[in-house]
Amino acid sequence: MNFKKIKALLLSSVLAASILAGCGGGGNAAAPAADAADTTADAADAGSDASDAGDTAADTAASGDVKEFTMFITMPGSEINDDNEIAQMIADKWGVKVKETWLTGQTASEATGTLIAGGEYPDFIDSDEMNLLVDADALIPLDDYIDQYPEFKETWFTPEEWEKFRQPDGHIYWINPFGNTKGETKDTTHNDEAFWIQVRVLEWAGYPKIQTMDEYFKLLEDYIAANPTMEDGTENMAYTILCEDWRYFCLENAGQFLGGYPNDGSVIVNKKDMKIEDYNTSEDTIAYFKKLNEEYNKGFVDPESFTQTYDEYIAKLSTGRVLGMVDQWWDFAYTVNDSFKQTGLDQKGCNYVPLGLTTEAGMENRWHTYDDTVNQASGIAITTDCEDPDAAFKFLVDCAMDQELHDLRFWGVKGVDYEVDDDGLFYRTDEQRQNWADTSYQAAHRCQYSYFPQWHGTSRDGKNANKPEEQPSEFMNDMAKPLKDCFDAYGVTTYPQLIGSVQETNGPWFPMYSYSNNFTTETPGGVAWAKMGECKHEWLPKVVMAKDFDKGWDEYMNAYNACKPEDFLAEMQEILDTFK
Amino acid sequence: MDEKVYKVRKPISDKIFSVIVVVFLALFVIITLYPVLNTVVLSFNDGIDAVRGKIYLWPRKFSIKNYKTVFGMQNIWVGAKVTVGRTVLATITSLIANALLAFVVSRKKFLFKSQLSLFWVITMYVNGGMIPVFLLYKNLGLTGTFHVYWIPGMISAFNMLVMRTYMEGIPESLEESAQLDGAGYWTVFLHIISPLCKPVYATVALFIAVWQWNSWFDAMLYNRMKTEYTTLQYELMKLLSSVMQQSGSAENAKNGANTITPVTIRAAATVVTMLPIVMLYPFLQRYFVTGLTIGGVKE
Amino acid sequence: MARENNKKKEKITLKEIKKQSFLMIVTFCMVAYGIVFYYWPLTGWIMAFQNYKPKNGLLHSKFVGLDKFKFLFEDDVFIKVIRNTFAMGLINLVTTTIMAVLFAIILNEVRKGWLKKPIQTISYLPHFLSWIVVTGILHDSLSSSGIVNDILLRFGIIKQAINFFAFPKYFWPIVAFANCWKETGWNAIIYLAAITSIDPSLYEAASIDGADRLQKIRYITLPGIKPTFLILLLMNVGNVLNAGFEVQYLLGNGLVQSVSQTIDIYVLKWGISQNDYSLGTAAGLFKSAVSILLIVIANELAKRYSDERLF
Repeated sequence: MNFKKIKALLLSSVLAASILAGCGGGGNAAAPAADAADTTADAADAGSDASDAGDTAADTAASGDVKEFTMFITMPGSEINDDNEIAQMIADKWGVKVKETWLTGQTASEATGTLIAGGEYPDFIDSDEMNLLVDADALIPLDDYIDQYPEFKETWFTPEEWEKFRQPDGHIYWINPFGNTKGETKDTTHNDEAFWIQVRVLEWAGYPKIQTMDEYFKLLEDYIAANPTMEDGTENMAYTILCEDWRYFCLENAGQFLGGYPNDGSVIVNKKDMKIEDYNTSEDTIAYFKKLNEEYNKGFVDPESFTQTYDEYIAKLSTGRVLGMVDQWWDFAYTVNDSFKQTGLDQKGCNYVPLGLTTEAGMENRWHTYDDTVNQASGIAITTDCEDPDAAFKFLVDCAMDQELHDLRFWGVKGVDYEVDDDGLFYRTDEQRQNWADTSYQAAHRCQYSYFPQWHGTSRDGKNANKPEEQPSEFMNDMAKPLKDCFDAYGVTTYPQLIGSVQETNGPWFPMYSYSNNFTTETPGGVAWAKMGECKHEWLPKVVMAKDFDKGWDEYMNAYNACKPEDFLAEMQEILDTFK
Repeated sequence: MDEKVYKVRKPISDKIFSVIVVVFLALFVIITLYPVLNTVVLSFNDGIDAVRGKIYLWPRKFSIKNYKTVFGMQNIWVGAKVTVGRTVLATITSLIANALLAFVVSRKKFLFKSQLSLFWVITMYVNGGMIPVFLLYKNLGLTGTFHVYWIPGMISAFNMLVMRTYMEGIPESLEESAQLDGAGYWTVFLHIISPLCKPVYATVALFIAVWQWNSWFDAMLYNRMKTEYTTLQYELMKLLSSVMQQSGSAENAKNGANTITPVTIRAAATVVTMLPIVMLYPFLQRYFVTGLTIGGVKE
Repeated sequence: MARENNKKKEKITLKEIKKQSFLMIVTFCMVAYGIVFYYWPLTGWIMAFQNYKPKNGLLHSKFVGLDKFKFLFEDDVFIKVIRNTFAMGLINLVTTTIMAVLFAIILNEVRKGWLKKPIQTISYLPHFLSWIVVTGILHDSLSSSGIVNDILLRFGIIKQAINFFAFPKYFWPIVAFANCWKETGWNAIIYLAAITSIDPSLYEAASIDGADRLQKIRYITLPGIKPTFLILLLMNVGNVLNAGFEVQYLLGNGLVQSVSQTIDIYVLKWGISQNDYSLGTAAGLFKSAVSILLIVIANELAKRYSDERLF
């Protein structure tokens, strides 16, 4: 061995070591700057105490008995400030503060996947991917905790409902916070899908009874013929369709409702023989698209239907020129109605009311969902990283069981956010209503903990609604005259009465979409389900725009059948069979 | 004879050329200014009113409420501090590191210059994916700290190559004469090359600073629960991303947090986050215009 | 004799090493850094051959061989998606490069500083808008009642408003335009910096020789930025398959789905959203392989026809 070679090697390695140290030194030289940044950030924290939700223990000691929990929700949402006023009131009284973090720029499964890979969890979690978390042993079983609160156990879910949450290993890991109604239902809005129509159209026609798509489009056509423009000269538009991404339900699934079925979402359940049926190929759906195609070719459907973005769609509706569309109430009504109110269009009859259309006149319709819809696929859970699961669960129960807390979350502070009249009914002044809806006010003052358990229906005081938007007096006061006239003309007081869906109890499998939502490409049915979605996204617009409907439909069907929908239906059938 | 023709033709062709330049730039400015202007205009418009769309170059219903809302978010201030901190720190460290690396690989005599270049070029086109990187940072103790913002991305092959190209344009004779005087590579780097590289240093500094300023994914991924290390862009993304919500389930949208941030607040937050960094360039521009004479490019 | 030779060689090497010790040390640090932060995470590529489950981690997930690649390449849609990605990547590369060079050169022809600086600042502003904002404005401008249709109608170029987003043929040009719109000014910065390194005396000499401005651009400015141009081109050739995600996602719709989907969108839909993390890794691995192949070819070509190279 050559001595010099060794020497050179030694030399270079020594040098390398020294420069590494040197590099380290360089790093240190830069470190003070980093530390400086750290300290400024820390100072900021100290200013608004208790922002450091990460170090639960330390903070609890510092700020009395308030327990700080973190929560991650795999949905986009608005963060509230750390010094949020109502959050502070809740902390003072119930001893718990929750720091919510929402999904940003990722999908739910990406975010959940990284959490699991990193092995560090927030105290509470509400994910669309609960099964992943259970698999990773990230959640604590809640069974024992639930048993500790018998009253909660009894009121929150029925035993059958609780069973739906039980996982294969026999434990319950999460609780769905939504879809529970207390006492008398206060449903004033039709918070579901429907064919919507502006009240000015109904008024013009003398409030006719509209039952089928043919009647619906005939009315729209006649109205356009008589009133090509609005008062200010804007051109009226008969019908538009929102088709953006997952919001394409506005185009896609009306067929199931027209056939008189409830919103199982992905399939139809034929209750007679407990068979799964595919609404995509049903007669009702074909008739529906045939009608849309006919109207499109006549020029009554917005040519931009299939390319508009959600923003553009909302803008279009807000101008008041669109006479009708299919949509879910929550998808458009809040924004559009606010705009109508500001511009005075609500006084001109631009508000939308739902129609319970069916393929044939006189059929029962099931557009409105009366029952509570319990989605067993997701909910709030406590993770293994939570240091005080007892306190965490207690707060969860408090949210459901303590009316005062519930009112604070959804109504706000008495005298500030709402007033109480002589009959003990809550109401908001215009100013209070505006504040409540204001973004900065929400960050500073409002704290809904919106993924914690909550009730619809009637408050424990027996008078008020649990949610302000369901308060009948609030609802009536808010109505513009044309809308009220329309309600009076049809002899109804609420939207659900107007749409006139049959009231019946849905099967325990309802809604089936809560199962198909959890399908993954690991099963053939899951692959088929995903492919069907892709295919429909591409072909349904083409079908509507086709010059020759039958030809277009046949082409669509070829592409559709290539996705093997039978695999999907078979798996859905298996799920349904478990309820036999 | 040729010369005569040239002298006559020159002013005309140059004049035509000037007209083309003016027209091109005018069009270009109008087209590029529009989206920015539109965003600024929207940020000064009333939120509910803006829902109706059709606002272009002037607010329809003026309001400064959007800015009040944005500045009312406490995290904006924390984010601003962290963003400024990381931008300054990372620009300095990263500029030095990249310059050193570029210097090394641009030395013609260096034994491993080709291999070292290849080593870094490859990093531009490969990545192990989000989860392995996350695990690495976690094991290095970088997650949940400020350091995750400046240590991992310190060297970028792109910036290194940009600098290398520039340094290779500097005549070798300068280096050789210095080395004859007994200067080592360190001295050459510090006293010969670096002063000549001001324009490219300024360019790369701008790239790094803007990259740092605009980063939000790292804040979201590695410091999700750490409000004290949030960044300005992460706060902006929180507002923007509600629009791009993927795999949205109607169920969730129906049940509650159906909060799409109003377009006007999105616009105001965009303006607030972009304004400070936009100021940086005019400041750096003087390094471009001073145009150092280095005896021409190679050849 | 042989030993003698050997010794001589070594001597030179050793001397060179000593002289280059500073360079060696920097190299050592940089390589160490690169291995830790760039190469170590590549162990994650194992995921491409596994059915990765977060709970099992890299070490204990089930090995499935080439199943994920099979899934990708047996899907007609994926083949189409590669075509889209490649086409858009290429179109974007060509248009953005041309625009950036063009803009840099033309801006350089503006002699008045008070005009030049504001123009440059304005030009790079859109870079700071996020894609959500830019695509929103673009979508609005191209809608039936938008400004583009308005102008086209007014000048009688078209008779009826065109719904640009309904036709696959318009989609790639729209994406290319969006990229140019947002990044031209920004991409030009690097060329403007390169132009500053050109010796002003060259221009003076050319003026004396009677060259007009076009000739000066052709014989002085263009050769001056050639090294930068080539290096950027080489680098970007490897990025052709990274044609993006956000733009296509935000501008696309069902009607243009067949031309709008890129590899990244496909991976999101079929991989990540379905909790299949391995699929994304497999696609990533494929992209990396193609990228490296492309830059190796490009690098060889560059070496042969010019004296620029990446490595």
